[in-house]
Amino acid sequence: MRLFGASIRITDMAGAVASLWEGRVQFEGALEQLRRGDLNALSALIPRYQNRLYRYLLRMVRQPGEAEDLFQQTWLRVAEKIRSFDASRNFDAWLFTLARNLALDHLRRIRPSSLDAPAGNDEAGETIISRMASGGPAPLDQLLARELSSRLAAALDRLPLVYREVLSLRFEEEMKIEEIAAVMGTPLSTVKSRLRRSLEQVRQIMEAGDQGEARA
Amino acid sequence: MNRPDEHAEIRKQLALLVAGALDDEIKVRIARHTSTCADCAAELERWELISRGLRRLPTPQPSPALFERTRAMVAAQLAAQTEQRQNRTTLILLLFFSWALTLLGWPIFRFATGGLLPLLDVRFHQMWLLFAIFSALTWLAGSSAAVLLSLHHQLERRPV
Repeated sequence: MRLFGASIRITDMAGAVASLWEGRVQFEGALEQLRRGDLNALSALIPRYQNRLYRYLLRMVRQPGEAEDLFQQTWLRVAEKIRSFDASRNFDAWLFTLARNLALDHLRRIRPSSLDAPAGNDEAGETIISRMASGGPAPLDQLLARELSSRLAAALDRLPLVYREVLSLRFEEEMKIEEIAAVMGTPLSTVKSRLRRSLEQVRQIMEAGDQGEARA
Repeated sequence: MNRPDEHAEIRKQLALLVAGALDDEIKVRIARHTSTCADCAAELERWELISRGLRRLPTPQPSPALFERTRAMVAAQLAAQTEQRQNRTTLILLLFFSWALTLLGWPIFRFATGGLLPLLDVRFHQMWLLFAIFSALTWLAGSSAAVLLSLHHQLERRPV
């Protein structure tokens, strides 16, 4: 019986690997098709990235309409520049870099103040968490049973652009630190310090909100 | 036994730990510390709560027509760009063609009309005027060709 179960598991795993491989081959084929100028390839590529890319752009610009415009502009840029894309590179990082550049250009034109760097030096040693009170019952504990998702989303929305971006790439897009560094065009150390500061700010915002609610 | 300053050091790293941005060596150090320090373990749990929450944020959905709109927009923009490129190339070719026609055609025109011009009492000082009229005619021929080519391209691109 156990042998039978194991053989089913192995078959399932083989099936999953085969399907992953098939997906990869189809994806490479679509890229090659687009490189040859066949726009039908977009039918395979856009749905694959639709939700991720839109979510990332929405985190950047915060306006659904603007995010959709930038989404379209990004795919136009992909179709224009696909011949210059080096196939040995990571397509995800390339795609998100194009989207990022378009979003930054857009924000520079429409809302330059949103590009202001967050207060404090990225590389500074002192962190917000080191200034937080330690010990005692943390207000965060009280959040456990509440609407964590919506509060996190609201906290994320209040962060400066660079922090929203790094959190979105790491936690939503699940990119590796190296991929994030490639998309943002910054050293690994900067990505790490931005990650730490952004998480600390999220926590600070959530705890401040919770304390405010407790007082009210 | 943990050093007193070790708690602060460990806590400073916890955000990066839940972000998956630490080396194995530091991860082992933190695991060893939190296994014996309840406060730091509780702090780690709070960070993990945020990390889990961020990973599970609902994915905002674009409008259902976005895919089709994007495909149509990309196709239209690329077609417009191709048309612009073709028009530019055609224009450059016609420019060369018109100049070539003017410069090469003039001696032929003079040769062909050599015996006729004196009869018409066309003198040397009138040659420039004649050359100007000849150039205008050749450029007119060039621009007519450009218009015809452009119409031909438009007909080719028109959907059936």
